[in-house]
Amino acid sequence: MARIELKDVSRIWSQSGKQTVGLKPMSLSIADGEFVVLLGPSGCGKTTTMRIVAGLESTSTGEVWIGERCVNSFEPKDRDVAMVFQSYGLYPNMTVFENIAFPLKIRGVASTEIDAAVKRAAAMVELGELMDRKPKALSGGQRQRVALARAIVRKPSVFLMDEPLSNLDAKLRVSMRSHIKHLHHTLKVTTLYVTHDQIEAMTLADRVVVMSKAEIQQVGTPDQIYNDPANTFVAGFVGSPAMNLIEGEFNDGRFTASDMTLSPFHLSHTGCAVLGVRPEDVRVSRREGSATLDANRVAATVFSCELTGDATLVVGNVGGQQIIAKADKSARFAIGETVSLLIEPDRCFLFDAATQRRIR
Amino acid sequence: MPLSRFAQRIIYVALALWLVIASLPVIWTAVISLRDYVDAFANPVKWSAPVTFENYRALWIDREFYRNFFNTMVVTIGTVSISLCVGCLAAYALARYRGSLGFWLLLVALVFRALPHSTLLPSFFTLFDALGIRNTYFSLIFVLVAINQPFTIWMLRSFFMNIPAELDEAAMVDGCSRFQAFRRVIIPVMWPGIVTTGLFSFLLAYNDFLLSSALTNAEKMTMPAAIANSISAESEALLMQGVAGAVSITLPLIILVVIFQRQIVSGLTQGAVKG
Ligand SMILES: Nc1ncnc2c1ncn2[C@@H]1O[C@H](COP(=O)(O)OP(=O)(O)O)[C@@H](O)[C@H]1O
Ligand SMILES: [Mg+2]
Repeated sequence: MARIELKDVSRIWSQSGKQTVGLKPMSLSIADGEFVVLLGPSGCGKTTTMRIVAGLESTSTGEVWIGERCVNSFEPKDRDVAMVFQSYGLYPNMTVFENIAFPLKIRGVASTEIDAAVKRAAAMVELGELMDRKPKALSGGQRQRVALARAIVRKPSVFLMDEPLSNLDAKLRVSMRSHIKHLHHTLKVTTLYVTHDQIEAMTLADRVVVMSKAEIQQVGTPDQIYNDPANTFVAGFVGSPAMNLIEGEFNDGRFTASDMTLSPFHLSHTGCAVLGVRPEDVRVSRREGSATLDANRVAATVFSCELTGDATLVVGNVGGQQIIAKADKSARFAIGETVSLLIEPDRCFLFDAATQRRIR
Repeated sequence: MPLSRFAQRIIYVALALWLVIASLPVIWTAVISLRDYVDAFANPVKWSAPVTFENYRALWIDREFYRNFFNTMVVTIGTVSISLCVGCLAAYALARYRGSLGFWLLLVALVFRALPHSTLLPSFFTLFDALGIRNTYFSLIFVLVAINQPFTIWMLRSFFMNIPAELDEAAMVDGCSRFQAFRRVIIPVMWPGIVTTGLFSFLLAYNDFLLSSALTNAEKMTMPAAIANSISAESEALLMQGVAGAVSITLPLIILVVIFQRQIVSGLTQGAVKG
């Protein structure tokens, strides 16, 4: 068990004069026993961050601390971390048993002890009867569990998991997700988990680190990330369907965009702004005749109406911008129909159009 | 798309026909190696004749062909082991290295491989004479390894590239040093590739005629160089020894391929499918 501390860690590759920034200087501290998820679109530097912690990638600047040690100069084997890879990284020529036993064997643990430890780890991920099979003869979910067992068998002080569920089908992913959550609850080992799937991040994490373009965008609990986004990227990336981001002007506590005026906002800002509102906070209702609209109601033409089963997604066109509303599952609207959208200012987020940061 | 029954049958018949045509000279050589000269080269062809082991006796005992056999074994095994050891290390490094230097090294290696062997010989003569090591196993193995190495490196590298780097990394996180990861995880996975490459480099050394006949004298000569003279000889007895020699050289190869056929097939198809 250990905490992880990244101090101004960055990574730049230079190849034939051209520089690729894998990671801009970032600092992050993960408490002992905490489950932290790195969330971001592909190519944003999540894997790079994790590999730096594992020692598989060197840092260009900064220090990595695991527990009370600065591990910059340590080889992966001396960092006391265990890693689960995206495509599992199982040893194809070894049986399941040998795969799980390998980390112990290479460290010279006695074979009776290995037997017991492997059995315990295998039982934890419910791998009972498969011990003599080769990885080739296993399904994706089974391979994933072998990889997990191999990680937990040694009782490392840190778990690193790089998109461990992304190669599984949707149903299996849900069950493996709860497996991982349960394992963490049982073992309480500090875990750094990488994913581009926001549901995984929200369900698993104690804290989520949202990354984009080689930088941290926001660090917070799933609740903070969802309900208190720091900028437009986080606002738009987390949540499904994504938050509506509407460009307009902000003046005297009033937000205006074409065909839309919302007020009052108790914020001090003047100039271009981006309004964010989650689809579930947009109330859509049928518009009777051409009666004048109440305050904060916006007229929209229905662009599409999608049934998802538990809800109906209504995409409306307002002055050239699309706004998605999540309506009751029984709601039905015709394409081209005029509806009114109720957007209440206290449910909205306001962002500075220039910096994309939240205006508080 | 699966082939129709009919197309499959045509392919089988064609393959069978090709097999007969291809193996006929080899089989015929084996048959006449057990005859005396008159029966072997009778006109018209004799389908059956008395069997005699005289040619083999004369070759192996009178001409002391076992010496050449021994030389071939020393040179071949030496070449294969050194090629594979150096080749595995170099190819692994080149497969994992991302810089541009690796590309140039591979290209240079390819150029050396492309040169005709005979163009290299004059410089070897001078060098080995100056060092006084001409006509030794060492010098012959040295040259064969040098000529062979580009090929083994290229071939092994393509096998290593098929092994995801994730495997090395998993091993290193699990507690291996880089070298342990290579030896305990990568090499076992590579085994079919190593056997296949080893076999090719075995064939090169085993079948070499030019270098052995140029760099060694009679007592250090390998089998192909030693029997070359008899094949073109005027003497009937020598010619028959040449025939027996050809069969003697071929047999170990057939045995080898039969023993390793599984690894060879899996090695070759692995390369073909993923490479
Ligand atoms: N060894 C490397 N050399 C050069 N660029 C790299 C290397 N490894 C990763 N990158 C680049 O760094 C960026 C971040 O990659 P990565 O951390 O794998 O992203 P993620 O895991 O978030 O999808 C990518 O643009 C990738 O192309
Ligand atoms: Mg990644």
